[in-house]
Amino acid sequence: MKRSLYALLFGLGLAAAFLTAAGRVQATLGESEDSVASDETALAAARLSTTAHNGYRVRELQTDSVAVREYVTPAGVIFAIAWNGLIHPDLTPLLGSYNDEYQTALRHTPREPGRRRLHIQTNQVVVEKWGHMRNLQGRAYAPALIPPGVSVDEIK
Amino acid sequence: MRSSKILFFILILALATACGGGGGGGSGNSTAKTLVSISLTPTNPSIAKGTVQQFTATGTFSDNSTQNLTTSVTWTSSVTAVATISNAAGSNGIATAATAGSTTITAASGGISKATTLTVTGGGSANVIPITVNGALCSDNSYPNKPCISVMVCDPAPGTSSCQTVTDILLDTGSYGLRIFKEALTVLPPVTGNLAECIQFGDGTSVWGPVQTASVILGGEPAVQVPIQVIDSTFGALPAGCLNADQSLAVARYTGILGIGLFTHDCGTTCVNSANNGIYYSCIGASCSGTTVSLSKQVQNPAALLPQDNNGALVQLPGVPPGGTSSVNGNLILGIGTQSNNMPSSATAYSASSTTGEFTTQLSGSTYSSFIDSGSNGFFFTPPPAIQLPACPAPNAAWFCPASTMSLSATNTSASGAPSGPVPFQIGNFISITANASNSVFAEIGGTYRGSFDWGLPFFFGRNVFVGYEGSTSSLGSGPYWAY
Repeated sequence: MKRSLYALLFGLGLAAAFLTAAGRVQATLGESEDSVASDETALAAARLSTTAHNGYRVRELQTDSVAVREYVTPAGVIFAIAWNGLIHPDLTPLLGSYNDEYQTALRHTPREPGRRRLHIQTNQVVVEKWGHMRNLQGRAYAPALIPPGVSVDEIK
Repeated sequence: MRSSKILFFILILALATACGGGGGGGSGNSTAKTLVSISLTPTNPSIAKGTVQQFTATGTFSDNSTQNLTTSVTWTSSVTAVATISNAAGSNGIATAATAGSTTITAASGGISKATTLTVTGGGSANVIPITVNGALCSDNSYPNKPCISVMVCDPAPGTSSCQTVTDILLDTGSYGLRIFKEALTVLPPVTGNLAECIQFGDGTSVWGPVQTASVILGGEPAVQVPIQVIDSTFGALPAGCLNADQSLAVARYTGILGIGLFTHDCGTTCVNSANNGIYYSCIGASCSGTTVSLSKQVQNPAALLPQDNNGALVQLPGVPPGGTSSVNGNLILGIGTQSNNMPSSATAYSASSTTGEFTTQLSGSTYSSFIDSGSNGFFFTPPPAIQLPACPAPNAAWFCPASTMSLSATNTSASGAPSGPVPFQIGNFISITANASNSVFAEIGGTYRGSFDWGLPFFFGRNVFVGYEGSTSSLGSGPYWAY
């Protein structure tokens, strides 16, 4: 209860912050689901569907080369995204305020030649990529925003 | 007896020549008869390394007469490393094959010329391309379980002789098409087209650069004209998906990649139909925007374009002893059931998804979508709850470090649901196995992965693994399929 309240406040706070950010409306993770509409623009996507799950719902956006799923809390805050397709989507609009932290961690992560995966964990966000040509996949989530009772294994 | 007859014949001939002096000859008058065209025989022959081929040039003249010009034309070979051709008296038009590959043979006389392609095979095994895992074909800047081959790249212009052999090419069944860093290429002409592409890999790394047609020679097979990606992060402007594009082969730790996986094209129909594909771009100056690309212009597997041996490939690597070894040698054999050396006699075929190229793996009650990837250097999967595979201490926490080597058995199943078959494999302690710095090839290393099951290079050790291309058939069935 306390955590979901925190999530809501966190999300609304971020949404307010980004609405003031001079027209560049393109952030999602940790923000209100209203930002899904801006992601559709940023990704040139068609919204496919929303499905209800126990403790959250999933909205799916489909571009010509990648399907992006956005995981939304009952309070309307996006706590995770996952994708699969021909490409990894541009994470900059999808990670929003978490992007700088992710990019900083990425720069300090040594390359693992011969591996087909990336695992980045910062204080606030986890970003994972995997797969191969014709089926690239990944997910990103803010552990602090995951609703109680929801497992990270459900983000896929 | 015989020699006295010959002497008599010569005597008669000498008398006849002496008596006929000044007679004007029998070839008629030689007024204004000009050469119109030249034809060559044989056309586009294929011969084995170390053998010779006599070419014959026949001229057709303005009066429709023909004449053998073999001794009077000038013969040239575009790639003298592949074959030379003689202009010496007594051996005019004889080509000598030196190394496997293709060359253009031209006969020219007075501004008229004719060309044909001579293919030199590797002496009966033109479809065999040597592989070294961390051996002579890999650069010093390599990493464990890296399979390397060499390819020959030539200027695609007809009649040019610019070819180079490029080593340290990663043999990758997890991608499709040939990509080589620009810094390693010396023979391709400057880029004239606008097409470029952004290729992202599973680990989030990417390569960027223009698409150029090259003439590519695999082993002793004929040259094929094929679009390849020239990896060059300075070309145009990087799109969002390639902001981290590899800037050098030193960073990537390979000089290029030959993708010979289940699909023939790196993108496929999505890039034919949609400009917003996130892979192909049209660059005018520094400005690049998404573009559609027909299949024939997409980067694609050169081996699938061969006139023969084009329905798949066989990767043959020997078994690796416990604890590893320094390097191993094997072969990439092109074609499935097309030659005596690629017969799939004892292999079982497993069909793969026509969209992802994946099939199914089960291990101790867990089910995974899975793929076979020579470009991955271990067995990568999330351990099922029933199997304890502890991670190694940092900085190797992505690898498994069980106290002792574990023998496991998974089951692979066709995407179509049948057949299924067991795959025994072993996972050892990564730290102790790789402690011997003189070894770079290991059969029993693995690590954590997410979602799917990645059968990396150790899967290939001691197996014949067939890659059945999409849209092709063999006695094993219709691609895409794996067989082993």
